[in-house]
Amino acid sequence: MIFGKWTAAALFLLPLASEAARPSLNDKEVPQNLDDFREIQEALQANLEKARAATVCLQMGGGSGSAVIISEDGLVLTAAHVTGKVNEEITVVMEDGRELKGVSLGLNSETDSAMLQIVDKGPFPFVEVDLEDTTELGDWVFSLGHSGGFDKERGVNVRVGRLVREADSTIQSDCMLIGGDSGGPLFNMEGQLIGIHSRVGASREESMHVPVREFQSHWDELLKGEFIGEGSFAQKAVPGSGFLGVIVEEAEEGGLRVTELYPEGVVERAGLKVGDRIIEIEGEDASRVLLTAKLEKLGAGDKLKLKWMSGEEAKEETLKLAEKP
Amino acid sequence: MKIISLILLLALPVAGNTLPSEKRKNGPLIRKALAPVQVSLQESSAVFYNEEDSRPFLYGTVVSEDGFILTKASDLGKVENYYVRVGAKKYRSPKLIQQDEVWDVALIKIEGQDLRAVDMSDPIELTHGTWTVSNGATERRLRRARPGIVSANKRKIPKGGNPVLGVSLDTKGERLVIKDVGANSGAEKAGLKIDDELLEIDSVEIENQKTLSEHLSGKSAGDSVKLKVKRGDETLDLEAELMAPQMNRNDQLSGGPEQQSERRTGFPMVIQHETMLTRRTVGGPLFTLNGKFVGMNIAAVNRVEAFAIPSKELAEVLKGLRED
Repeated sequence: MIFGKWTAAALFLLPLASEAARPSLNDKEVPQNLDDFREIQEALQANLEKARAATVCLQMGGGSGSAVIISEDGLVLTAAHVTGKVNEEITVVMEDGRELKGVSLGLNSETDSAMLQIVDKGPFPFVEVDLEDTTELGDWVFSLGHSGGFDKERGVNVRVGRLVREADSTIQSDCMLIGGDSGGPLFNMEGQLIGIHSRVGASREESMHVPVREFQSHWDELLKGEFIGEGSFAQKAVPGSGFLGVIVEEAEEGGLRVTELYPEGVVERAGLKVGDRIIEIEGEDASRVLLTAKLEKLGAGDKLKLKWMSGEEAKEETLKLAEKP
Repeated sequence: MKIISLILLLALPVAGNTLPSEKRKNGPLIRKALAPVQVSLQESSAVFYNEEDSRPFLYGTVVSEDGFILTKASDLGKVENYYVRVGAKKYRSPKLIQQDEVWDVALIKIEGQDLRAVDMSDPIELTHGTWTVSNGATERRLRRARPGIVSANKRKIPKGGNPVLGVSLDTKGERLVIKDVGANSGAEKAGLKIDDELLEIDSVEIENQKTLSEHLSGKSAGDSVKLKVKRGDETLDLEAELMAPQMNRNDQLSGGPEQQSERRTGFPMVIQHETMLTRRTVGGPLFTLNGKFVGMNIAAVNRVEAFAIPSKELAEVLKGLRED
């Protein structure tokens, strides 16, 4: 438990965990009879409705993963390999099909943790987080996710299992996972979030989750939108790899005149025409030196805000750089 | 829509504390606690064995004392000669009485006496999270219980996995144009080329991708379609053979055709549960902890989803099969 790194702001954003008494169903090494199974079922069902309401599907760029809302105002936890980037617009889909706008915050590319903020106004359904790190090996747990992508008729998929392995940056359960579950929540039998789905083992009956403590140890950086580490779960854009698809010359009246457009390139799709004049780049006066300096730092997928004159009309848009062809 | 796959890890992460496998959800100690339900599985499950290799390939559900059994029709149809076990007893020469193609259910008759049929009366609605018990692997004399909870909404499963031409398409204005032709696809063999515009399929005008997929939904892999395409100023008539859609990443993760039921879509109503079944362990009964019969397992969909026909609907299917 790493409380030292926490700020008051971070604590404020997190719902406080209630006094947790570990459910007695976890005291038995294995269920002894059907009543023990019934106890597990009752605990799961008592918490399932709330957990389902807070479990969402994330959709971006033709991809789909899962996530969970942990505060009334829409703070969301998910996996780094789902959001992939910081400050990326992502559609958040609730179980009933309601679509919300979200923006990815920080991510940790080494442990597969990530945060996202819903931009639309709440309140949203949310779940409690197991801040006290109370779960133990062998505890019964349940797992939710939009397996295989959003399916309104089916709804969220629920699975049950036990914690079968504990390591520092990973907890493992025998709840089965599949593509599309990535980023979805793992709960203890009190309905508290204990982990986020990350990966599966080579054998059929192993699933790995990022424990909540891993989020806690980098809470502020994640909240601030930092890209942490150089791990395999997300790659930073390579500086200089971004492509605008435009050829410009310095214009006499200032700014940059568009002389050629790459067909279906980023700039052409934004609606610029040959003859248009780019007047600002990221709020600064446009010049060839400035444009080159910006592009040297940015990679494919990064964003660049342009303001330009099309005839007498001023236009502005944030463009997302493409890969160099 | 591309699905973000879980990262597949081939080695275990840092060693940590581990729960022994016998205490895990599908372990023997958990199975032991399910003994009272195992009795129902033991007596009301049928096991289908292939005569050729004496291996079990499918389960069945006993629906009458004198030996009527329901099972999954499409997988039974793949084996020519088989025998059946109910409990520890072996029954030779089972008779295929009738099949229901809509539900993919076959009715079989063995020469049985005093068998314990499942009770389809008083169907109950199951809520999410309710424990169910299915057949796992089997021993010669003993059925093995495998637990799993009801995991999603009860619903209709539309027919999926339309056969494909093997092309990717692009909509250009009102024209539907071929963007790419798959190697060795029916489309390639038929001579379709990039930039061909699709006009008609089997003399039906193709207005958009939807009309095309609607037409293909009535077809199977191996069927041929007649296409009218425009190439430059020419209009060509071609005939292309349809192929099965390719396995996606989640199918691969689920073991592919070895583990998944081939027919896993197109059911008028199913209960979904998360029990890990394979194509060889469907066909048997689904019970609650109380031993109440609630359905018959009809498809091992993937590593997280299994479908069962609810008992109420199964009773109607059985009625229809016995009247025919």
